[in-house]
Amino acid sequence: MNRKKRFSLLGAILIASMLAGCSNNGGTNVTETGTNTPSASPESTETASAPDVTLRLLTDFKDIYPPKPDWAVWKWVKEETNITIDQETWTGPESLALSIASGDMPDLFTVFPGDAQKYGPQGAFLDLSEHMDKMPNVKKFLDSKPEVAQRMTSPNGEMYHLLNDGLGAGNLMVWFYRDDVFAKHNLQPPTTWDELYETSKKLKELYPDSYPFTFRHGVGTLPAFGPQFGVYPYMYEAPDTGKIKYGVTDPGFKVMVEYLNKFYKEKLIPQDWLSMDYKAWTQQVATDKTFMTIQYIGQIEIMNSQLQNGAHLKFMAPPLGYGDKAYIQKADYENYGIAVSSKTKNLDATLRFLDFIYSDKGKDILSWGKEGETYTIEDGKRKFLPQYKEPNDLRKELGIMTSTAYGVADFEASLSLSNENEQHSFTEAMKYQFPTMNLTPVLTDEERSGITAIEEQLNKYYESSVAKFIIGETPLSQWDAFLDELNKIGAQKIIDTYQVALDRLKNNIK
Amino acid sequence: MNSPSILKQLKRDRAFILMFAPVLLYFIMFKYVPMFGIVISFMDYNLFKGLGGSEWVGLKYYQQFFDNRDALVIIKNTVLLGLYKLLFGFPAPIILALLLNELRNAVYKRLVQTVSYLPHFLSNVVVASMLLLLLSPSTGWVNRIIEWFGFPAISFLQEAEWFRTIYVLSEIWQQVGWGSILYLAAITTIDPQLYEAARMDGAGRWKQTLHVTLPGIAATIVILLILQIGGMLEVGFEKVFLLYNPATYDTADVIATYVYRVGILQGSFSYATAIDLFMGVIGFLLVYTTNKISRRLGENSLW
Repeated sequence: MNRKKRFSLLGAILIASMLAGCSNNGGTNVTETGTNTPSASPESTETASAPDVTLRLLTDFKDIYPPKPDWAVWKWVKEETNITIDQETWTGPESLALSIASGDMPDLFTVFPGDAQKYGPQGAFLDLSEHMDKMPNVKKFLDSKPEVAQRMTSPNGEMYHLLNDGLGAGNLMVWFYRDDVFAKHNLQPPTTWDELYETSKKLKELYPDSYPFTFRHGVGTLPAFGPQFGVYPYMYEAPDTGKIKYGVTDPGFKVMVEYLNKFYKEKLIPQDWLSMDYKAWTQQVATDKTFMTIQYIGQIEIMNSQLQNGAHLKFMAPPLGYGDKAYIQKADYENYGIAVSSKTKNLDATLRFLDFIYSDKGKDILSWGKEGETYTIEDGKRKFLPQYKEPNDLRKELGIMTSTAYGVADFEASLSLSNENEQHSFTEAMKYQFPTMNLTPVLTDEERSGITAIEEQLNKYYESSVAKFIIGETPLSQWDAFLDELNKIGAQKIIDTYQVALDRLKNNIK
Repeated sequence: MNSPSILKQLKRDRAFILMFAPVLLYFIMFKYVPMFGIVISFMDYNLFKGLGGSEWVGLKYYQQFFDNRDALVIIKNTVLLGLYKLLFGFPAPIILALLLNELRNAVYKRLVQTVSYLPHFLSNVVVASMLLLLLSPSTGWVNRIIEWFGFPAISFLQEAEWFRTIYVLSEIWQQVGWGSILYLAAITTIDPQLYEAARMDGAGRWKQTLHVTLPGIAATIVILLILQIGGMLEVGFEKVFLLYNPATYDTADVIATYVYRVGILQGSFSYATAIDLFMGVIGFLLVYTTNKISRRLGENSLW
């Protein structure tokens, strides 16, 4: 009998704590859109009338410009809008999902379009298309850039995030090489992958413990190599047919894997290419262990400023591997955006913030800073103060052009700090862009949940198989079996799904 | 039936109950309450509709997992990694403890103990980057030694067949010293008279170890074995995640990493919960069976 009583006591405690848990959950739902003082006029950049609000912001974390609380951009935002930004950063790729799942969501998020389209319809993010009347400057921007607006719009017209714009050129992944070493040995930069192979062989003979050619994103680098072979590895709109194409199945892709396999076997690429990180890559570039590489365009100057004893890196045109023209990935668009939590208590302030960063004034201040503070005017042209030497200094020291610290950026500001070598890289790189983007069209929620499981399997199988082909664990004679297997997993179903989405997109534009 | 009423009992034991309260609270708050979350594995869970608003879908997500061609491989990887860890990792601290027990030089013994349990305090991130450096085919000294003996360098972390060996060995290196502490403590409780008696009967060191020390710590061994079998399937996420790459998915992709990729990165919380619950059930069955066997054999048991 005693025992029974004790159990019922325990039961009571359990039930009580459950109830507590439930009512907690209920509590967070109550917080509805805060009704802040409606004083702010639509073109609200006058500080005086705007209420003082603190907004929480969750952004990604970048090693090359770790966020600081005293970044000047947040000070300028405060001056212009009376909004204080409290920035938190990701601890890993799972941070966004965990932040949403925890229920304790910040007001603003830096997001990839895929995340916005995944969590938006579930109710995590606000549909910003409903609030355009409060953001006249955002609306103006969207009207002027329909191709950007289209990428941030879901099939039913919702807009769960705003995409950044202006800095796309920085996303270009380009080839570069050690021009000092090449000049010393009288070598020419390769124009084809065959020449890349020959040149690597020669360099390997000259520097036996080097790996002449390096890249650092493992299998993830293949989308950057693909355009030299006329394809992207995954699904994209093929420029010639306008239909969705699965690049792996193209003969050009196989040629690429054959090349990489040859490079691996003859130790022309690092033997641990699958597990290299940024630090390992930097070390190799800095210590004469590699002479040709592919990386984000900004890294040329970041590395050049660290190299010593006359070592120097220079832009190189992409070598041709297959087909008739060598390209690099099309990347002069931004694939980062800003989403607003559906639970924000500071709706008005959040919209005001977004409107500010997309306004002309916001663009100017958040790209250049303020006269006297960050730049001076000489001969009618703006010039950054001498302590800012290279473009990354603006990001590192001031927070200029970092995640969610701008809506539309003025790339001129960044470029004005680039030296001749870098400006040369930018103008050259623009010539080699692949005609279409390495993007899949936006899916509806239903379409997505129909293919998520297959897509994960397909990608895992693709990644592990291609890695094994390159390191020679699977002989290339198995290639056709590999393609058959991709089909068996259900590649066609995914292609069809994206085709439907692409057709819908094209109809919407007409 | 004349035991005092519950109130009296409560009053009598109030000090104990007070001391026990934080632990009870901890278990309720952090172990039992979250357990109700498993219901989302039977729902199309939507974070914003909550438990009340999400639709019940029965076993859909369990079905989905078993329809997945990778499911068997992932389960196999998890079980094998756990099994090898148990098979090689479990005896290691016992052997170390027995060896340490035979050492007569106290200073040396302490030194070995300290050195061997230090790795326990290293985080997995540090261990993983140490392994990446040591095993690198171009710069790692493990490969330097292999090459010095005239063999070709091995890309340890890119070859699927090496993954389990590396994982289990590094796991042993990390845990062996720490694990031996319990056994050493158990050894000190053995009555010295038993050793004296054994010596009188002419037993040497080896026979003493075999017939006195080992039986003396058998109870500890069995309890720890049962506990470890329960944790067998909890293959650490961090280390696998830090060490694997596409080329080693065949042997390295385990439940934890799969759940991370599908459940958290892609936001399919229901699916992830279903897989985890399934593994939890298997883990429970393992403990239950071991406990049963142990009791049958007349040794100790957990309950």
